[in-house]
This record gives sequence, structure tokens and C-alpha cells, in this order.
Amino acid sequence: MTTSQGGVRPVLVVGLGSPDRGDDAVGPLVAQRIATLRPHGVQVLEREDPTALIDLWDGRDLAIVVDAVCSNGVPGTLVIMESGVDGAPLTDDAWAGAGRGGTHAFGLAAAVELSRALHRLPRRLVLIGIEAGGLDHGEPLSAPVRAAVQPATRSIIEILSEAVAGPILSPALGQGHGAGCPGGDR
Amino acid sequence: MTHKLTDGGQVMHVGTLSRVEGEGAMHIEYSGGRVTKVQLQIYEPPRFYEAFLRGRAWTEPPDITARICGICPVAYQMSSCGAIEDACGVTVSEAIRLMRRLLYCGEWIESHALHIFLLHAPDFLGYDGAIEMAADHPTVVERGLRLKKAGNDLMDLVGGRSVHPINVRIGGFYKMPTVAELRRIRPVLDRARDEAVETVRLVAGFDFPEMEQPYEYLSLRPAVGYPIESGGVVTTAGKAFAVQDFTRHIQEQHVEWSNALHATLDGESPYVVGPLARYTLNFDRLSPIAQDIAREVGLGTTCRNPFRSIIVRAVELVYAYDEAIRIIDGWRDGVAPAVAVPPRAGEGFGASEAPRGVLFHRYVLDDDGIITDAQIVPPTSQNQPSIEADLRTMVQGWSDLDDHALSHRCEHAIRNYDPCISCATHFLDLTVKRS
Repeated sequence: MTTSQGGVRPVLVVGLGSPDRGDDAVGPLVAQRIATLRPHGVQVLEREDPTALIDLWDGRDLAIVVDAVCSNGVPGTLVIMESGVDGAPLTDDAWAGAGRGGTHAFGLAAAVELSRALHRLPRRLVLIGIEAGGLDHGEPLSAPVRAAVQPATRSIIEILSEAVAGPILSPALGQGHGAGCPGGDR
Repeated sequence: MTHKLTDGGQVMHVGTLSRVEGEGAMHIEYSGGRVTKVQLQIYEPPRFYEAFLRGRAWTEPPDITARICGICPVAYQMSSCGAIEDACGVTVSEAIRLMRRLLYCGEWIESHALHIFLLHAPDFLGYDGAIEMAADHPTVVERGLRLKKAGNDLMDLVGGRSVHPINVRIGGFYKMPTVAELRRIRPVLDRARDEAVETVRLVAGFDFPEMEQPYEYLSLRPAVGYPIESGGVVTTAGKAFAVQDFTRHIQEQHVEWSNALHATLDGESPYVVGPLARYTLNFDRLSPIAQDIAREVGLGTTCRNPFRSIIVRAVELVYAYDEAIRIIDGWRDGVAPAVAVPPRAGEGFGASEAPRGVLFHRYVLDDDGIITDAQIVPPTSQNQPSIEADLRTMVQGWSDLDDHALSHRCEHAIRNYDPCISCATHFLDLTVKRS
């Protein structure tokens, strides 16, 4: 368990998804972009298994999860949902995340509500969904989802900036959200 | 709330989202209260990979095929390593085999703990899913998460990360963990083994529908130990053959109602792979602690009731911790992490026991080690005919249920096999025709 000096776990950003299932890769890709910006006081991770989130976000003030989502919407659309200790419960079908089929997805909504039942939700949880266009094995990101990477990155930085005291980005890195090479912690 | 983004996309702040369709589709027809048709369709990703692998280098299958499944990547890595090494005429050292087995224990632990506690137990205890069960039985769910995390930690240490391990290569590993690193994880495994024993007692107390499968069971059986990372093939009908002869005995066929292939054993169908088959054919190979707890709960040395597979998985969970501890205790530093595997033209075969059953790989290489043909036979396609046969038997007695209740019962029966679709609480699109 990672903790800051005061014993409180830092703000968490997780990119959820499989890197080889088309638009399902967008969560990890956004996390990599965030990691490249090296935001102060923020832990950035990539994961494929939603059950891993229960341990990861337990005891945090703020956790942000970015994931591909299927809701029959326009591909590339950002869907932002607030949850957390005081948030309303999500229904079983609330977050029809990608990474299904052979990846045994115990869904993101299930991870949220299982954590709630076990009193292990972060105080504030922000789910950032990016509407997927295709989830075929081995396919690259679709154009609309690729175009959504930068707005998703920007949205996360805005949420972090509002929530974390003091500047979170060093001036040199804060210029262009979205540029850079992969750098997430697996 | 919706507003336009500057790049033309949209962002929505919403309270809920619509649901997408399930990964499995099932069609049942009743006529005059009698079942006339049961057809199950399961989405099967390995087919894409067989084509994708052609033209790739002999070193690539462990990394490529690990992507097929987020729950059993090690199975794909081990079967592919075995097949490529067989094609190249290379045998790895005993130390490498043991480290592969240790990594595989981590995968069994992750997969079995997830299935027992978060997926299968709610079916038996009358809950819609783990969330509802957690409200009444939080300590049970917490135990499941602890047991699963011990597997994650083992995968992290040996495989480099808990999903899609990156430390595996043809011929072995990039880096071996040290004795000091392995010793650090041992107390976690020790405690988890004790909790796994308690888990066997817990699940053995569930109510189980009476059912006896008459089908042939098939599993691996190595020279020593319970089958995990390798072994020859054995069946309950007394057949025994080498993995190299797998495709002479196992044929896959298209059926008209599904794009997945159905497997037959020497022309016969169905047959069963997975925990029940492994246990029934290899009880004598379980460690004493696993055998003792199986006897204590009255499981016997064979098990043919698919609903009792949850007990068998719990016994295998005990074994996986026990085996991991045994390997860790015997480990010595200074072992070469890999052996060289120079390419050569030929055909190679590999099989290992994925948590849900035998996973077979076959590759054909040219002189430069380029893959010219690839075949993957996953456990779920082997079990699909037996799942259908189970359902045909059971749905006969469920004709008076409404579609919702029928779907729930069918999901429970399908989950007995832990197929590669069952993680969602509700994963089945059911259509019923009643006449």
C-alpha cells in the first residue's frame, strides 16, 4: 500500500482496460499520458482486472478511473460519473465497461458496489468513460476514440487541479496535456 | 448534462448508462413441456489469434497469446512455450519447470479465488451476485479478496505483473526471483493456505443439486505431481496418449448454431476437462493437506457432480498454495533463468492445465522460426458440448420457471464450468420458445 508521509494514501488515477482489444486500450493510454505529466502527489497505474481496484482505492480521498465504455453512444464521447462513499449506488448495468468476453470482466460497476458493501470506497470516486467504437482483438484505437484521449487527459488534470492543494504540474510539463511517451506504472 | 467538446466530441455527466448484451447466448425450445432444443453460443477469442500468429517469430507466442485472456494468461504462455520448445527440440531445466509451476500456481489462485467467492458462491447462497452477498457476508467476500490478492502478489513477483506477465519467454524467464524475494511472500501464502482449508469447509456446506455426469473426463497427468504446467493426456476411459497425439484424438467441428468450435474425443462427445477431471484422474497426486481436507468434507477420490466443482476448486486452491510454498522452500539462487531455443523447422505441441481445463497449442515453424500454422484448443470449446448436455438434462425440470428465473438457473449451471465468459453476474442472453 502506497502512503504519503502523513499516512494518507495519495490521489489515484487508474487506466483500466486491455491494451490489445481495440478501443479498450484507451484507459491505459490516458493513464500513460497522465503519468508522463508527472502530477505531484498523484499515483498513476494501469490495470486490466477491476477487482484489483478494491485494494487500490481503499482509503483514498480521491480516485479517478478511466475506462472504455459501451452505452450505444457516439464513439469518443466522454462520460463522467461521480461516485464514492457519499455517492448514489451504481446499478449492476451502470457501467458496461469494455474488456468483456475472454477477459472475464468482473465489471467496474461491480467493483464499485462491492467496495461500497465492504466500506472500502474512496471518499470521492470519478469514473471517466470513453465511448468505444470497436473492441476487436488486435485492432488499434479507432479515430474518434484516439481523438478523445486528449480531452480525457485534460478533464483528469482539471479534476486533479481542483482537488489537490497547490500546483500539480511543473510549468514545463503542464503545457501540452497528451504529448509524450508511455510512462504508467504497471 | 451534455456539452460539445472543441474537437466535435461530446462529454456527458450522467447517473447511469444502458446495458450491453451478454457474452453468451442460449436458446431453449420447449414443446408440450418437453425440451426439444438447447443451444449455447459462447464468444471465443482464440480464433482470431490463430490467424494473427501466422507470420510471427517463434519467440512471440508467449507475449501474443497471453493477451487472449486476462484471467489465464499464464496458461497461454506455458502451453505456447511448451509447443515452441517441442518444435525446436529443447527441454528446459527442472528449475525453470518449477518456476513456471510457481507462476502457474499464482494464476490458479487468482482464478479459483475469484470464481469461488465472487461468482459461484452467490449462486449457491441465493444472491444475485457478490455485491448482494457482501452485504450479508462481508467476511466471506473479504476472505475471497485476500486469497485472490495472494495470487496477484505471486504473479507480480514471478511474472513481473499480476495481469499478462512480462517475465516469461521461450526457454524460461528473463529474470528469476531471488530466495530473499520469495521468502518475503511466504507468510502471505502460509496464511492463505489456512484460509483456503477453511474455504473447503465453507463451500462443502452448500446445498448441491443431485447430478452425476456420465461423460468421459480428460486431463493431463505428469510423471510426478498434480497436473499444472505439463503432462501426458489421460482419460477416465483408460486412454493415455502424448500431447503430440492430441489432435489425433481431439477434433474440433463447426456446429450450425455457433461460431465457436465444438471438440470431440475420438469422435465422441461430450467429454469434460477442468477441475472435476483433474481431481478424478489425479487425486493420488494431491498433497497430503489437500487430500486430508477433501476426505474430511466427504468429497471422495472422484467427483462427477458439476455443482460440486466449487468444492474441488477449493481443494485445488489449497493445493496451489501448498505447492507454491513447497517450491519456494526448495528454491536456490544462481539458477540460469532461461535456456537457448534456436529455431528450426518443425511442428510442436504443448498443453497445460488452465484453471478451467486443458489448453492445447500447436505450431508449425519454418527454417527461420517463422510460424506458418497455429492451432489453439481452449478448454471452453472442449467443455461446450458437456455444458449443453448438462443443460438439456436440467432444463427439463425447469419448464415451469419464468424466463428470468430460468436464465439464472442456466447461468449457475454454466458457471459450474467457469467458462471464459462467466465473470459478469448476468452474462447470458436467453431466448425461450414455448409451444
